[in-house]
Amino acid sequence: MPNLPNTLSFRLTLWYSGSFVVFLAASFLTLLISIDAILGDRIDEDLIKDIKEFREFYESGGLNSVKQEIDREAKTGDITEIFLRLLTPQGEQFYSSDLSHWEGITTVQNKLEKFATNESEILLVTVEFHTQDEETRIAYGLIGPEIILQVGESTEEKEEIMKLLFIVFTTMFLIAIPIAATAGWFIARKSVIGIEEINQAAIDIKNGKFNRRLSIKKHYDEIQTLADTFNLMAERIHELITEMSEMIDNIAHDLRSPLARIRAISENALSRQSNKKEFQTATEDTLEECDRMIQMVNNTLDVAEAEAGVVEREKEDINLANLIQDACELFEPVADENNVELTCTLNSNCHFKGNRQGLQRMMSNLIDNAIKYTKPNTSVDIKLENNTNSIKINISDKGHGIPKESQHRIFDRFYRCDNSRSKEGSGLGLSYARAVARSHGGDVILETSSKKGSTFAVLLPI
Amino acid sequence: MKLLLIEDDQVIANFVIKGLNEAGFSVDHMNDGQAGLNAALQENYDLAIIDIMLPKLDGLSIISRIREKKLNTPIIILSAKRTVDDRINGLQHGGDDYLTKPFSFSELLARVEALLRRASNIVEPTTLEIEDLELDLLSRTARRAGKKIDLQPKEFALLEYLVRNTGRVLSKTMIMERVWNYDFDPGTNVVEARISKLREKVDKNHDASLIHTVRGLGYVLKIQNA
Repeated sequence: MPNLPNTLSFRLTLWYSGSFVVFLAASFLTLLISIDAILGDRIDEDLIKDIKEFREFYESGGLNSVKQEIDREAKTGDITEIFLRLLTPQGEQFYSSDLSHWEGITTVQNKLEKFATNESEILLVTVEFHTQDEETRIAYGLIGPEIILQVGESTEEKEEIMKLLFIVFTTMFLIAIPIAATAGWFIARKSVIGIEEINQAAIDIKNGKFNRRLSIKKHYDEIQTLADTFNLMAERIHELITEMSEMIDNIAHDLRSPLARIRAISENALSRQSNKKEFQTATEDTLEECDRMIQMVNNTLDVAEAEAGVVEREKEDINLANLIQDACELFEPVADENNVELTCTLNSNCHFKGNRQGLQRMMSNLIDNAIKYTKPNTSVDIKLENNTNSIKINISDKGHGIPKESQHRIFDRFYRCDNSRSKEGSGLGLSYARAVARSHGGDVILETSSKKGSTFAVLLPI
Repeated sequence: MKLLLIEDDQVIANFVIKGLNEAGFSVDHMNDGQAGLNAALQENYDLAIIDIMLPKLDGLSIISRIREKKLNTPIIILSAKRTVDDRINGLQHGGDDYLTKPFSFSELLARVEALLRRASNIVEPTTLEIEDLELDLLSRTARRAGKKIDLQPKEFALLEYLVRNTGRVLSKTMIMERVWNYDFDPGTNVVEARISKLREKVDKNHDASLIHTVRGLGYVLKIQNA
């Protein structure tokens, strides 16, 4: 994978595991702090309870009872963890448990005057002894007149629990990080794998595999939507390329034929002992072929131009009835020559905003086709219907109809039915007509086609 | 009449010069844009024919510069570009007419003469005559040997166009453009059919035929033995 830190998967993983670690650490830390506080409170409560108990001992049995209890506690308890001292308000010790583990104890705290006046006051302090591993919590409290009890308890037990907890938590933490990273990586991979597939498909298409499609099914909806859109786009590209290569084939074919004829004409004129008349005929033939080629190239460009919608730009107010009347008049002699009757049913007026040249040519192409394909001694009928919000122009011939399998292709550029190949034409007439109608927001459709003839309809919005 | 031709394609230039010389014009030819502009500004030409794609200075710039100097020499643009936009662009730069390559010489000649005629402000006649054919441009009627010919309006326009250009070959596209205002050839011998109908009305039952077909080029109205 190129440049890992820049990939989406890597960054997603980083974000995922990063936030997981932060959350976990915060949770552990909160937990440790709470436990520490709870354990600390427990020690304080013990110390306060001791003072209260000794206060009762003093009340019931006097100083001796207190001393006995101190001795007893010292014997039963661990002298390394607890000590008890009796002090005067001036801070002088007059009785104590074994203090061998509590060196320097006498220097501690001697401002105890206030206990003489306030019985309920209990003072709690934390002190460090160099003979103890952990801090010591110490409580001072008045248990009788002029008698202050000082109780100390090591926090070692609490610290041990805390240490253990810390180790447990750290271990869990260290195990959780790689698990979080792996989980993050999987989730990230799962969401981007679709993107990579799409990327790969795009590369394939770029390299010429135009039939490459995606079959992503199991991924998230967004990726699926992207994949579907991608497939549609790939389909369109494939269509366009196929259409274009067919078109190039057709153009090449249609250009090659007149070129071959021109070549033959010229070669023929040169190779034989031609007289002036023959040369003249050859030149005339050449000119006709050239004109045909120019016409074809122009038509191709015009269809492209019409499809691009350039024609739409300059519009003028056109009386369609007049335009169609003119076109019919123009084709009348041609119809006459073919023994075809051309009938025109027009409304008196039909105004439309459009491009004159484009519409003239659209009508010419459709009428020209109809005259070409209708059977001799029949008619071509043109009818203009002017509705409230649309215009419909029908062009009907009485020809042999268009074969079903060809009907959907007749508007394709250069497409020609088998039975039309013999007639003169470029295969561009209908494409042009449709492109013009569409650039005006309308369309040209094949309305009906049977053995009795075909009807084309031009639909235009007002 | 002295014309200026600015065209870098030698074959086309020779073809145009030869034709224009035969038609009685003298032609100065320049084969790059800069030389062409200098010539156009120094000499007083009756008309200029300018290609658009030229070395050193393009045709549209030449036309703009000529018009900036307030010279109203009629200009015909020659170009291989044929979209509507290209035409409009050419005319907006100050060209008077636009002809797309490839073109037929007769069409170029007809356009040259039309522009020169327009520039010289010749008073329009109301009748046209050739041999025994008479056209009354006001009542739009035609007579041959004194006998009225029954013509549709478009047929009259076609005949008028042919008579006005007597002796000159008119191409199908020129006829379509002038008579029907179509800027394309609608294909399938539309013009041919129309001409043969007209010929039937004008020439039938007369000794001398006036309307002739020139194969590969177009149609001409002329006196047979001339």
